[in-house]
Formats: sequence, C-alpha cells, structure tokens
Amino acid sequence: MEVEDLGHHISRRFNEDLERVRNSVLAMGGLVEEQLDRAIKALSEGDSALGLQVAEDDQKVNRMEVSIDEECSRILATRAPTAGDLRLVIAIIKTITDLERIGDEAEKIGVLAARLASVERPATNYRELRNLARHVKNMVHGALDSFARLDPKGALEVVKADDAVDDEYDSIYRQGITFMMEDPRTITRMMDLTWMARALERIGDHAKNICEYVIFMVHGKDVRHIGIADIEAEVQQGVRRTEGRS
Amino acid sequence: MTLPHRWISQLGALTGLLAGALLLGLWFGAMGWWLAGALLLYVGDTLRHLYALDRVLDGHKRVPLFETRGFWAEILARIDKLRGKARSRKKKYHRLLREVRESTGALSDGGIILNADREILWFNPAAARLLGLKAATDIGNRIDNLLRHPGFAAYLATPKSDGISVPSPKDDGGWLTVQIIPYGRDQSLAIIRDITHEMQLERTRRDFVANASHELRSPLTVISGYIDALSEDPEMPEAWGTPVAEMQRQAERMTRILRDLIELTRLESAESKAARDFVDVVAMLQPIAAEFHGRGGLTVTLEADTDAALLGRESELHSIFYNLVNNAARFTPSGGSVRIVWRAEDGGAVFEVIDTGIGIPEEQIPRVTERFYRVDPGRSRASGGTGLGLAIVKHALQRHDGKLTISSREGEGSTFSCRFPRERVVFRADAIQAVQ
Repeated sequence: MEVEDLGHHISRRFNEDLERVRNSVLAMGGLVEEQLDRAIKALSEGDSALGLQVAEDDQKVNRMEVSIDEECSRILATRAPTAGDLRLVIAIIKTITDLERIGDEAEKIGVLAARLASVERPATNYRELRNLARHVKNMVHGALDSFARLDPKGALEVVKADDAVDDEYDSIYRQGITFMMEDPRTITRMMDLTWMARALERIGDHAKNICEYVIFMVHGKDVRHIGIADIEAEVQQGVRRTEGRS
Repeated sequence: MTLPHRWISQLGALTGLLAGALLLGLWFGAMGWWLAGALLLYVGDTLRHLYALDRVLDGHKRVPLFETRGFWAEILARIDKLRGKARSRKKKYHRLLREVRESTGALSDGGIILNADREILWFNPAAARLLGLKAATDIGNRIDNLLRHPGFAAYLATPKSDGISVPSPKDDGGWLTVQIIPYGRDQSLAIIRDITHEMQLERTRRDFVANASHELRSPLTVISGYIDALSEDPEMPEAWGTPVAEMQRQAERMTRILRDLIELTRLESAESKAARDFVDVVAMLQPIAAEFHGRGGLTVTLEADTDAALLGRESELHSIFYNLVNNAARFTPSGGSVRIVWRAEDGGAVFEVIDTGIGIPEEQIPRVTERFYRVDPGRSRASGGTGLGLAIVKHALQRHDGKLTISSREGEGSTFSCRFPRERVVFRADAIQAVQ
C-alpha cells in the first residue's frame, strides 16, 4: 500500500494530511448528527434543559469548522493539490460550511424545543414533526456515509429523498395554517412548530448539498441545480467511466 | 551425516562414466576427446532431466521421464510428495477458514478486526447488519468514519474494558455497545452487541419507579396530614396514643423512602455527567458534622486537611456527604466515634468517613450499594434507613467521576472513601494564582 501511495503522491505526509482532514470532517459530521438527535429528543421529551444545552454546544461545531477550514487553507497553500486531491479539498471546504449550517439549524430547533417544553403538548406529541425529523436525520446520516465511502450512488439516494422531505414540510405548513385559522390561540405554538419544520427542511437541503459535493469529488461533475434525472445520468456515466478506466 | 543412497549411486554413475572414458582414451588414444564426450553425455542427460523438472514445476502433472527408478525419478517423486502435502494442508486450512467464517457468521454479536490506524480489515455478517457496513466500500475505511458518534470517537482514543453504548446508526431508537479489545501487534477487535432491548427494559423500569413514587406521594401527604392532626388532637382517647405515634413514624419513613427513590431515578435519568459549579466542601461539611455530633452519644469530628473545593452539583454532593455520615452514625453504637476527613491525594481529593461501628462482613461489601440491600435488615430499618442511601451515593459519585471504596472489619468499624479526580478538584492556592 505504501508503494502505491508513494506512486500516487510524492509525499506521504501529504496523503496523511488529506486523510486527517477528511477524518475531521466526518468527526464534525458525527457531532452535528448528535446535536440534531438531541434537539429532536428535547422536543419529543419536553426537556428544556437539553434544548438549551444543544444551543450552547453549537460552539463546538463552529470551532471545528474553523479549525478544518484553516487546515484546508494550509494544504492549499503548502501542497498546491491538483485534480482529484484539489476536488477533495474543495468538497471538504464546501461540506463543512453545510455542516455548520446544519449545526445552526439544530441550535434553532433546540431553542424552539426549550420554548415549546413549557406549553401544553398535543396528544400526538408532534408526530408529524418527529416523522420529518427522522427522515431528515436519515438524510444527514446517508450524506455522511456516502462522503465516508466516496459513494456517489449512496449520495444519489439521499438527493432523491429530499423531495419527500419537501412534501412533508409542505403538509406540516398547511396543517399549521389550518390550526391557526381554527383557533388563533394556537398561533404562537404553531409558528414555533412551523419554524422548526422549516429548520428541518433546510437541514435536508444541506444534506443534499453535501451529496452533490460527493458526486463532484468522485466524478468531477458539478451536479448542482440540475434535475434528478440529469444527476442520475451523470452518476451512471461517471460509474461507466471509472469502470472503463480500471 | 552420510550421503543418501541416490547421491552415492549418482556419483557412482558419474565416476563409472569418467572411468570408462579414461579406459577408452588409454586404449584408443585422444584421451581429451573421450573425456569431453563423456562429460557432454552427462551434461546432456542432466539437462534433459532439468527440462522435465521444469515442466513438472510449471504445473504439468505428467512426469515425462523414461525411467521409473534412480536419482531423478526419486527427486521427482519427492517433489510430488511435497506438493501433495502442500495441497492437503491447503485444503485443511481452507476447511478451517471456512469453519471459522461460518461460525463467526453465525454469531449474533458483531465482530470487526481493526488495524493500528483503526481501519477495518474484516467484519462478520452480524457487524454488517448492526452497523450497515458494506464489504466493497468499507474495508480499509476507518471505523470512526462510519460510526461517527462523538462519544465513540472519545472511547476509541482511550478504550476501556467496559465498552461504550452508542445509538445505532441504522435504526432509530436502537442502541449498541461497542467494546474494543487490543490483541497481537497493534490490532484490535471490536465487539458489537445490540442492547436495544436491555435499554428499553431499563427505561421501563426507571419510568415505572419514577411514576409509582410520584403517584404514591400525593395520597401519602394527605394521610400524614391527618395523622399529624390526630396526634395533636387533645380529645383523642389515651389508648390511641401509641398506635397514632407509630403511624406517624411509619408515614415519615414512607415519605423518606419515596423522596430517596425520586432522587435516585432523577440521578439515573439525568445526563451522565454532573454540572461543574463551584462547591465549597469544608463549608458544606461543617453543618453536617454539627448536626450529627452528640446524637445518640456519638462523637463526630471533622478533619479538613485541605481547603480544596469541588466542581460539581451542590445538591448531589451534599447528598453524598450527608448520606455517608448518616449511614456511619446509624451503624455506630452509643459512645463510638465518626471521623469525617477531607484531604488531598495524588492531585485529587478524598472524602472519608471512618466510624467505630458494627462493620460489614467482608463478603457483603460489594453488595451494600445495591438498592434496598441490607446487611442486617432488622437493625437497618429500626435505625430509620431507607435502604437507598448508598445507592444514591454511588450514582451521584459516578456523575462526578468519583469512586467509592469501602473497607470494613466486623465489630471494629468501616471506612467509606470517595476519591474525586484532579479535573473535579480546585485547590484555593491554584485558584488564587490563576487570578493573579
């Protein structure tokens, strides 16, 4: 393996640097996943202390973003990576921005959950929202998995799941409006819930972005702002090209 | 060491050939040509056999040899034998490997082999099922890239023998324990077990105890209220005095048990680490010592050798100290003494309660922190214990990274020591220096 590395990169230290920064991104992803998990737990268990704790712990996510960002700048400046390595560094820089935003949304959910803990809970215990949260959590998890495995097919699955999440958000939104029209006393609570659903929907978008960077990193194709069918075609083509090369 | 027979015969053949050439040379003259011819003959024969050997080694089964005996035939037979042996050994290893694969495949616990860099070298089907691993992409990937829980990353840096519980990356609400066992040179084995069911049971139990204690508390408040009113009623018949006083005592005891149960469930379900508020230990211990001093003829002394403070939750630390002193006081007969010691040790601090009480039989020491475990049931209850004090101490201490050690000798007394690690202790001198 070492011989191959030496053939691949002049310096083994370079490889180690890239590998380390990739590992830190995934560690940051793990932290963000936990933040999201705890924020949702704070909502479903009405635990205001936990919600506020999540909001406070967002600093940790921010600190990680800054340190990974610095590391990437250092690699760009001292190693001047090209081709696949350059794509990896660019994808990492973009990924941590999206991860940090997911952290911010989790912080928002934590604060809203802490506020909702003090009001009466509906009999369903926010079932729709918890469902949406579960789907979004799976998306974030899938996005990080495909990043770890450099797996564009896995990334494509996550991109496809985003539509379902958007639909769910729409239905929660409409349901909220109905409730508010029926009984204006619920407006405060419903607004909070809608904000929370909105935050979850945004997290889904960020997870989708991360998946697009994975496809970019592996196949070198920018698949942002094109339809799912086109993304799928790019991934298929990329897979064929990779197979043809080997 | 003697030469094997085949070598003797081969050397004999060569000698014979050369001797023949020599004789013919003497007879016919041109000795050199005869000798050269004989050697050429020998080299030709050797080359022919080497060619045959080469073909055999190339994997041709048939040995294209004319003779079935002699030097070369014997060597080829030996090679055949070696190959046969190697083949059967290979078959044996294959079988063994398959059996190992099948048995590890049948295990319900996941197993992953990791190298020094924590990269996955191999995993069994259960591990694939529990963690959602895929052979094609995950061999060679680091395990903490796929199991990304921050707690696991911390555990991976310093693995302890008792493993760690992490939420399942695959199904929502599932829980796994992962244990890393180092072996060989820099390799380690990760064992993964599904504990979702245990966690659910534990949770159900905790919820039940919490709910039951809360539900029992309200009716009990009403009952003790009426009993209190009754006991103060001057019109109550004389004969009822003793029963009512007893009812009052028992109601108080029930209240205490419920309070301890609620405290214990709160400790169990709270976040695993206590907050880090500044707590002045000496100031907290003084009133406790004063409260118990003189009660039942006891001498309670406080020996504060350090003014170290703790970083923790005040109510829980109070509960630790109070319960331990209370415990010592209850099991020390009149005239005995209880020493409360607060001292520095190895950068951390130790809280100790040393009594001259009845002691604990050695075999029961490990069990005394179990809830409702009593060394001598009659005595403990008579002295007003709830049976939960030491369980509360143990849990609260765990949340402060502390450790409880108990040493005791029956009839002579017991020592309960709580060791707090460096990270939880603040020495005033340090604090003053830090400010300066």
